[in-house]
Amino acid sequence: MTTRAFPVAAFALLLGGSSSPLPAQDVVKAVRQARTVAAPFAYRDGQVIVAFRDAVDPRDAERALRSGGGLEARRSRTGAARFLVMLEPGLRVPDAIAAFSRMPEVEYAEPNGIMRRTQATTFKPDDHYYKYQWDMTQMNAERTWGIQKGSPNVAVAVLDGGVAYEDYTDPVTGQVFKKAPDWGDTKFLPGYDFVNGDAHPDDDEFHGTHVASTIAEGTNNAIGMAGLAFGCALMPVKVLDQNGEGTFFDVAEGIDYAAGYTEGGVKPVKVINMSLGSESDSQTVASAVDRAYSGGVLLVAAAGNAGQNAVDFPARLANVVAVGALDARKEKAAYSNTGPEIDLVAPGGDCNRDDNADGVPDCVFQQMPDPDFLKVGRYDQFCYCGLDGTSMATPHVSAAAALLFSQGFTDPAAVRKALEQTAERLGGATAGGRNDTFGYGLAQPAAALPGLGVDTASNK
Amino acid sequence: MRHHRSTTLAALLGAFAVFAVPAGAGEIAAEGQAGYRDLAFANTAQALFGSSSGGTFGGALRYTFWRGAFASFGYRTFSKDGERVFVASSTAPVQKLGFPLSVKIESLPLTVGYRFRVGHTIVPYVAAGAAFTKYQETSTVAGESFDQSVSKTGFTGAGGVEVGKGPLRFGAEAGYTTVSGAIGTDGVSKVYGEDDIGGFHVVGKVVLAFGIK
Repeated sequence: MTTRAFPVAAFALLLGGSSSPLPAQDVVKAVRQARTVAAPFAYRDGQVIVAFRDAVDPRDAERALRSGGGLEARRSRTGAARFLVMLEPGLRVPDAIAAFSRMPEVEYAEPNGIMRRTQATTFKPDDHYYKYQWDMTQMNAERTWGIQKGSPNVAVAVLDGGVAYEDYTDPVTGQVFKKAPDWGDTKFLPGYDFVNGDAHPDDDEFHGTHVASTIAEGTNNAIGMAGLAFGCALMPVKVLDQNGEGTFFDVAEGIDYAAGYTEGGVKPVKVINMSLGSESDSQTVASAVDRAYSGGVLLVAAAGNAGQNAVDFPARLANVVAVGALDARKEKAAYSNTGPEIDLVAPGGDCNRDDNADGVPDCVFQQMPDPDFLKVGRYDQFCYCGLDGTSMATPHVSAAAALLFSQGFTDPAAVRKALEQTAERLGGATAGGRNDTFGYGLAQPAAALPGLGVDTASNK
Repeated sequence: MRHHRSTTLAALLGAFAVFAVPAGAGEIAAEGQAGYRDLAFANTAQALFGSSSGGTFGGALRYTFWRGAFASFGYRTFSKDGERVFVASSTAPVQKLGFPLSVKIESLPLTVGYRFRVGHTIVPYVAAGAAFTKYQETSTVAGESFDQSVSKTGFTGAGGVEVGKGPLRFGAEAGYTTVSGAIGTDGVSKVYGEDDIGGFHVVGKVVLAFGIK
């Protein structure tokens, strides 16, 4: 688990703390901004633009405008012999243009056409606490959602401490688990608990739910927060215990389970998120990573939070996308590891700062089991709480990858390359280049999703 | 003596005028063309459109100015629809993304050529010249336009035959146009290192000739 200290309780209070009912006031309305397309043949009725040849005498111009059907005219402020002519009532624009065009002193006449802004489609969710999600802004989420919100046929396996995805009472321990309140329509695939050896990978900590929520928390449902790939499915795979620790074996088991899971003859897990790490290497885990990658799964892992020039394992493996963390300034978060294996960076936050001056620390906020209740052994209370760490950065990249798979990508190497090529370069990296602090830069799925034309690319 | 030489010269010039003006000179012909075009940026086209060829249409005006020598000015258009893709490298699999994409290539070939065996039923010909070519690419991704328009002049060469002796004839032509440096700065064409918007064409023609001698 690569999460820093958890000053969550205070933020839970700041954000309201409890999960439900959420206050209904202050809800941001959903805005679906329709695509606007320029209409080249639309023009103002009763108006034409008439340009005279430079040498025309003003009196001749006036006579010409009147004889062509002009009622009044407004000359260009630049002093050019160009007039906006208001036509006599009933005079059609094409007829006026024809009349003016026949005059030898007129250089050209044309309709006073209408231009419109060309605005790309965006999607702004109405989730109550979305306003605190500076990380979504940094990921250009609204433009991303205008293109792709995620497909339920694409799943991200979250190898972590479990996810609060179901209402379940453990028959042995009597422990009560509740489904977190803001999953909306998010689809969950059958996961597995490799720590306890059962098919109920519920969260007995909070980290896994927070990570999973960044990927696919219920979005645009007027409550809680948003997930970047909220249309995608999740698979909870518990490989970390309630202390946030797991073993190489369980992690390898989890990778194999997720990569090998089939549903209707297809393998829905396209991305494995590993917000976890170790300083040591493991052949067992490395082999599982290679098997999953060759089977078409992109693996994404946290670079680590030691603030040193060494990327954690398994992030440093060649077949894993290593993710470092940014704070709200798009600066490297102080804790984020660096090194030649860093591929991308994403918002990981810094709970010790409030650079965006929104009155709350610049953590990454998502739903998760409330730590205050965890202390007394209860897993059925939730908060919208803030964490920071490369653990928090990693699911942003996993979600971005899931969106690319949802758009039609099938090859994990292509997904990785697309995200690298279109990342926002930081730290002085040149186009196409990278550095050891930011890798290829800040992942920008909205730039990767359009792909390439014959001679066009979104980073042009 | 001087007068005699002048008369002889005039007679020679007259004889040259009679015999040198060939049967086809002065002929004006209008052509309608339809056929097939194979794009030079074949790998790029294969990735985006699923094939590198398609139908092409056009026409030309031809003036025969001396014997079988002619000048021709034409127009030919080619368009193809596909979808935006991602290609990581020239050997990587193509990732189809579903955003519609269209290209249109319009050429204005200006050529000079020679028609052999003018006056016979089957008239072969060759031609070469310049092709002013306009390339347009349009695609929209959720309201954002990714458009490209390039105009460039290249070279074209063609050969063919015309069949018929009257004003209405039929023919076929094959040719190749190269317009390099037009694309390849970005997108899939950059990945494959392809920059030529020309290609090979084969067209059938209907010719309507006027001023036949």
